[in-house]
Amino acid sequence: MRSRIGTAAARVAVLLLVLAGLWALWEGYRKLWESTGWTWPFPVNSTTMPHLHDIVGALFDPIREGEPLLARYMLDAALFTAKEAAVGFLIGATVGFLLGALIARFGVLQRGIMPYVVASQTIPILALAPIVVVGLGSVSIAGWTPKDWMRVSVIAAYLTFFPVTVNTVRGLRSADPAAVELMQSYAAREWSIFWKLRVPAAMPYLFSAFKVAATASVVGAVIGELPSSIQDGLGGWIINFNQYYALEPENLWAVNLVAALLGIAFFLLVVLVEKLVVHHPPEQLV
Amino acid sequence: MSTLAHPASGRRNTQRVRKWGPAAIVFGIGMALWQWVLPALGVERYLLPPLSDVLQAFWDNRSELVRGGWITFKEALGGFVLGCSLAFGFALVLARWRPLGSALMPYMIAANAVPIVAFAPITNAWFGTLSPWSKVVIAAVLCFFPVLVNTLRGLTSLRPESLELMRSYAAPQRVVFARARIPNSLPFVFSALKIASVLAMIGAVVGDYFGGSTEALGVQIVSSVSLAQYETAWAAILVASLIGIAFYAAVALAERLVVGWHPSIRAGVD
Repeated sequence: MRSRIGTAAARVAVLLLVLAGLWALWEGYRKLWESTGWTWPFPVNSTTMPHLHDIVGALFDPIREGEPLLARYMLDAALFTAKEAAVGFLIGATVGFLLGALIARFGVLQRGIMPYVVASQTIPILALAPIVVVGLGSVSIAGWTPKDWMRVSVIAAYLTFFPVTVNTVRGLRSADPAAVELMQSYAAREWSIFWKLRVPAAMPYLFSAFKVAATASVVGAVIGELPSSIQDGLGGWIINFNQYYALEPENLWAVNLVAALLGIAFFLLVVLVEKLVVHHPPEQLV
Repeated sequence: MSTLAHPASGRRNTQRVRKWGPAAIVFGIGMALWQWVLPALGVERYLLPPLSDVLQAFWDNRSELVRGGWITFKEALGGFVLGCSLAFGFALVLARWRPLGSALMPYMIAANAVPIVAFAPITNAWFGTLSPWSKVVIAAVLCFFPVLVNTLRGLTSLRPESLELMRSYAAPQRVVFARARIPNSLPFVFSALKIASVLAMIGAVVGDYFGGSTEALGVQIVSSVSLAQYETAWAAILVASLIGIAFYAAVALAERLVVGWHPSIRAGVD
């Protein structure tokens, strides 16, 4: 118990140290470049590199006279983007797992489909985003039209499915062959071998994919918002503040800070679930 | 090699068909779907124009597309080289001073979870919208963290026996790195480099989205979409993907040449 408190204290100390180190690096770099007047690789001033306290301070300033704090808007935007990302993650992870299970089961699919699964990720997704978002706008399934934000989720899902597919294939194949043979010798159905042996063996692989996918889903949601004129999420604010960057650079930095925190929060959520579900995750699979 | 039909070459051909046949069939089905089935199903042109129209658009705009692809590829390659080499050097430092490495590792992993493409407008503000450097830097930052995390893992996941052997020879750190740690890390490094090659290309194209030289591929995609020239947009996407695939394949080929001895390559996984 005591040692646990000790390690927690050490962790907090390291966190504070890292934050202080980053702050010192940032402000030190600014000071050095400003005082020497170096312009390589880029000129440093309060537009290109605002003071960190100004960036954090921007969050706690009202965006206009008499309106709520920027942090309030950022919270709403982050929740909106989180919703898109979470739905995208669920769709992507499900599709990724099913595809991976099919590929792991049928070797011919590995050679037939896997190259295209890899190739699919080389398509610049942002380029695809306007087409997907506009295109899905005209789709309706039995009279039900997906809401705007759901189309962004499709882009998040597109980025999410890839790592899940790759690791599902690896994980399902990593089941101990001796155990599989034993089950077969008991005439176990393939279905029960799948659920009792292969899926548990794949768990650590799945979670390491989920961690990559969690980040990817946030990236997909933010990127998907950019060309789709959805104003409510972080992507919308990025476009908005990008236009006023010369006037208020802190705001754009503040949105990016929030986006970074959202990505990390998604990642940590998966780590937490992994701790609850997988009891002994192997060291090497983060 | 002689061209005489000999049993071994026949077997090799059969193997080749086994290996590439399914992919070729899927390719054919995919192209047929794109050309004939999607239009027949009533998929709108602005969603996905038929393959022949996209190819026609590519042919009509080939000089701009190829030039744009070259510009964007140079940005991606610059970012890839910059980001990967910085990451590799940094990983060596962190692996040499382990307490530092293990204290910073969680932060590297957290940094990996940051949506870095969102910083593209900021690098544009740093270097100027038209400068290729803003895209190079975004691509470099995108490449940096996966390569750093994987390289560090490879450098430090040495078998204890190898380390003990090195220690029993009283090998200096330099030799431990050159003979044991770096060779051990190479499979990890290459799987990260493959990811980085794709990320670099995406970073360069996304960087273009926030403004760039009008010749760059990403800018061409954005402007053709806004002009409703969907065939041209798709042709540009096709070019970007082909460059991405070629980049990935080049890294995979280098992997095969450098770490061909590794079991995961010999077994034909991935």
